Amino acid sequence: MSAEKRDKEEEVKTDDGSPKIKPRPIVQLGIFLISHSPVFSVVFSAAGVLALLLLPLLAKNTYISENALMPGSARSMLSHRDVSDGSKLVKDIKNFRSNHEGQGVEVQRLIGKYMSEMGAEVYYQKFHPEGNQFHPLHFFSGPDSYTLLGNVSCASYGVNVAGIIRAPRGDGKESIVLVTPYDSINGGEYEALSLGIASSLFSLLARVTWLSKDIIWLVADSRYGDYRPVAAWLSEYHTPSFMVSDSLKCDELNTAGSFKRAGTVAAALVLKVDGRSERFEDTLSIYAEASNGQMPNLDLFNVVNYLAVHRQGFYVRVEKVVSLLSSSWLKTVGEIFEAVGKVAHTLNPDWNFGIPAADYLEGSATLASSLYSQALGIPTGPHGAFRDYQVDAITLKVSPRFPADSKARQHDFFQRGAQLLEGTIRSVNNLLEKFHQSFFLYLLTSPSKFVSVGVYMIAFALLVAPLPMVAASLYIDGCNALTKATHNPAKNLKSWKWLDAAKQVFALHLLGFIVTLLPYFICQVPGQHSPTNRSIMWAATSSSLLLLTFVTIPSCSPFSSRLHGTNWAVLKSVTISAAFIGLCLMSIINFATAMIGALLLVPMCLMVRPIKLDLRSKRVKSLVGAFCSTVLVTIGFPVIVFAISKGLIREGGLVGLSLGGEFWTWLESLWAWKSATYLYIGMVHLPCWLLCLCILFHPS
Amino acid sequence: MKILILVMLLCYSFASSSGDTTIHTNNWAVLVCTSRFWFNYRHMANTLSLYRTVKRLGIPDERIILMLADDMACNARNEYPAQVFNNENHKLNLYGDNVEVDYRGYEVTVENFLRVLTGRHENAVPRSKRLLSDEGSHILLYMTGHGGDEFLKFQDAEELQSHDLADAVKQMKEKRRFKELMIMVDTCQAATLFNQLQSPGVLAIGSSLKGENSYSHHLDSDIGVSVVDRFTYYTLAFFERLNIYDNASLSSLFRSYDPRQLMSTAYYRTDLYQPNLMEVPVTNFFGSVMETIHTDSAYKAFSSNTSKINSDMPLNQLSDQDLQNADIPNDELNTEKQKCPYTQMRADLHEKLEKLENVDTVVNLSIAVMVLVVIVSSSVI
Repeated sequence: MSAEKRDKEEEVKTDDGSPKIKPRPIVQLGIFLISHSPVFSVVFSAAGVLALLLLPLLAKNTYISENALMPGSARSMLSHRDVSDGSKLVKDIKNFRSNHEGQGVEVQRLIGKYMSEMGAEVYYQKFHPEGNQFHPLHFFSGPDSYTLLGNVSCASYGVNVAGIIRAPRGDGKESIVLVTPYDSINGGEYEALSLGIASSLFSLLARVTWLSKDIIWLVADSRYGDYRPVAAWLSEYHTPSFMVSDSLKCDELNTAGSFKRAGTVAAALVLKVDGRSERFEDTLSIYAEASNGQMPNLDLFNVVNYLAVHRQGFYVRVEKVVSLLSSSWLKTVGEIFEAVGKVAHTLNPDWNFGIPAADYLEGSATLASSLYSQALGIPTGPHGAFRDYQVDAITLKVSPRFPADSKARQHDFFQRGAQLLEGTIRSVNNLLEKFHQSFFLYLLTSPSKFVSVGVYMIAFALLVAPLPMVAASLYIDGCNALTKATHNPAKNLKSWKWLDAAKQVFALHLLGFIVTLLPYFICQVPGQHSPTNRSIMWAATSSSLLLLTFVTIPSCSPFSSRLHGTNWAVLKSVTISAAFIGLCLMSIINFATAMIGALLLVPMCLMVRPIKLDLRSKRVKSLVGAFCSTVLVTIGFPVIVFAISKGLIREGGLVGLSLGGEFWTWLESLWAWKSATYLYIGMVHLPCWLLCLCILFHPS
Repeated sequence: MKILILVMLLCYSFASSSGDTTIHTNNWAVLVCTSRFWFNYRHMANTLSLYRTVKRLGIPDERIILMLADDMACNARNEYPAQVFNNENHKLNLYGDNVEVDYRGYEVTVENFLRVLTGRHENAVPRSKRLLSDEGSHILLYMTGHGGDEFLKFQDAEELQSHDLADAVKQMKEKRRFKELMIMVDTCQAATLFNQLQSPGVLAIGSSLKGENSYSHHLDSDIGVSVVDRFTYYTLAFFERLNIYDNASLSSLFRSYDPRQLMSTAYYRTDLYQPNLMEVPVTNFFGSVMETIHTDSAYKAFSSNTSKINSDMPLNQLSDQDLQNADIPNDELNTEKQKCPYTQMRADLHEKLEKLENVDTVVNLSIAVMVLVVIVSSSVI
């Protein structure tokens, strides 16, 4: 009622000829933000970066959210006999391998024999180590594409061994998978230890009465990598194929029709033993990142961490970017935060957000690694294969503190490893539903600290917030510049001037799409080519395509005459809008990629200005602006980003001519793992970079 | 004269409406475990322990309604198949041969619970699943599960609220389904569940006050879960010392709870319960010890018993006079007395009307009287 009245009043006013309607507060705020967009964009971007730097401070301690898990509430039932079973298996394998050279399948048979002696159902599975081929049509088609079998020779196949212990009183609808990758031909002594641990555990589980889920122990043949055998087993487990594969006919081990299943996989643990621990304690490294930044439920991670730290006394670590630990600027930032925290604490004793600079450094190095692994979208271990089937899984990499041949310590090591797994399995066994209580979207800052999605989204939101504001303000400027004659700003805004710019933006995005697909065709080129050659091929085709675009659609080209060219402000406005949409979409698919992408794209898009304009004015401010935009656009080129990050992570010095080749290999790995980051680079980052280049060289 | 009639009516209504004077003739127990899932093992163990205790103290199985929301004994995660323990020493299997579960699994719902209390069952429900108590019954209602402020969670989906419970108890009172009712609840903020109770004859005890949690007592590291709650544990500890002939009073039970051991404050509500707790033996609720009347011969015993029941009327009149003299009745009883005679009078009138054989004459007569009244009144005006 009152609203109607107000509307009428407003109408009356306009009829009277006074066009001044008081807009709503939100509109006023919008207009205010847009009119002061340069200031606000600087403020917001700076706040975004600051929020990112603050994340290690905002990290919360992990806690177990699901009541049913109850980790560590049950006493371990592992006996000495179980452990000696494990030791015996390791010894037997060692003896066998010293006597028989290269008899791959026999080791698997030996493991299978042990499993069936413990009372498990055993079967063997053959798989092909087919290479991951990039196929644009299968990019998002999921793991089913593995079932495409080419004509493979009998010589190259792997054999997985799996044993199932049925839960004596369970309903058989759920299962827990334990994976130990083992290379029976080249595997070192440390690798065999993982079999010892798993075997000790399996011997125990075969006799306990408390199982409610079936237990599957998969010895994955890691001759062709860790990931592939697990993926092949999972694919067979979930999508039974009724076609008889060629390899089944090949030789001695007849595996046809023997594949056995247990229920839905509730959780999976991948156990690896590698190398000797650098520390005094046994070290447990936990890897959680699966493809496209997906993470297992935080509860699973916490259960393992809790049991490892509080029950078995492992030193638990997660990956971190080592080079960041020694970076002085980050240390300074940490010290500043520490000082601020101390001051805040003196002001109000309840404010306890300050952490020591050393902790901050550790936290941010871990956070960076977490962010990087998620952004890359490549799983950090065989557990990634499980995530494709929505199974929560993590890889545990244990490094013992003794040399591999030390018999005395081995017993203790097996016991502790098996007890850790027993506790975890018992905890998951208590579970009544899928993992659902805790977070799926998080970044780790230490094994016991995490940043949840609600916190880390803030940094991203602040970073991208200036984009729409600047786009709107530029659009208004551009329209006013285009049609100065009419002197009617309202009419200007409604004009279709942006269509030219949109055409150009669209053309370049289309180009980006084609460039993204090109590698598929380059891979089809017959003959063996080195990665460097392929990258040269790719670069050549892409740039010729770009030239072709510029020639055919003259308005796109930055080198075209002024008449054809669009107004740079409108072009920049549309570019920024496109970048904003691209980043927001990407943040849904893979947040970490969007975050890192925003760090690169946002400053570039905001700063870029036609260089001619700045050079003409010859003022110090505009010269600095021109320099900044040139630098940012240079840095924004994906290859340069790659080179810089290489230098940051590996500290390998300058990467020379092989850069192209390395970049190609890197991209190849991205599409092989079906990482959405690849699509982001090709379809959002590259077109936006090209557009920024166009703006930089705009003939205005 | 009128006053005398009123007094007579009062006496009559008091005698008929409240069951306070009927003697305690039988004992019932309703034991409810409301939570499911393996990690709530302790709630089932609590209930089964109480079941064992009341059975040991003499309540027969047919007078115990046992409601268990989940089957821990046969849970695949139970390391001891078909056994339930309430102590890590595993000396006492609570799930032995003689456990009669009346409502199990998903049958344990708020609806079924209220049906049991109020006795509103469908026809098909067997007698063994009904609470067939009467006005001489003492009922023990024990509940355990997860609760909060004025509610108790049933299964994982629904909840019993304090006013639901109060309403059911009131219905029971109206339907003379109990003489005395003791409600014992072991859950977080158990005291809040009694807030709405107002029926006389109800004694309530809860494990914790508002804002307090009730904690489990200890963890059995073989089974991997907590096996008993603190409040129930100390209740059982009290009862383990007793046998059927002991005369321990309710107040000694209530005094046995130590807030430091419970880690919460046991709360009991006695304002609805008249007898002195010092004089009420715990076996009044937790056992089945009847008052025995010694007589010389079996037949005489019956006759004396009936005569006693018949003699309720004069006895009550006497007691009423005592009450009048003593001047101590509390407010609730007073209000009840004032409210009831009127309805009773109307009911009596109604009854008499129905007994009249020639209704027509009565109607005619009354019409004539009405006409007269109208004439008189109009003439006066």
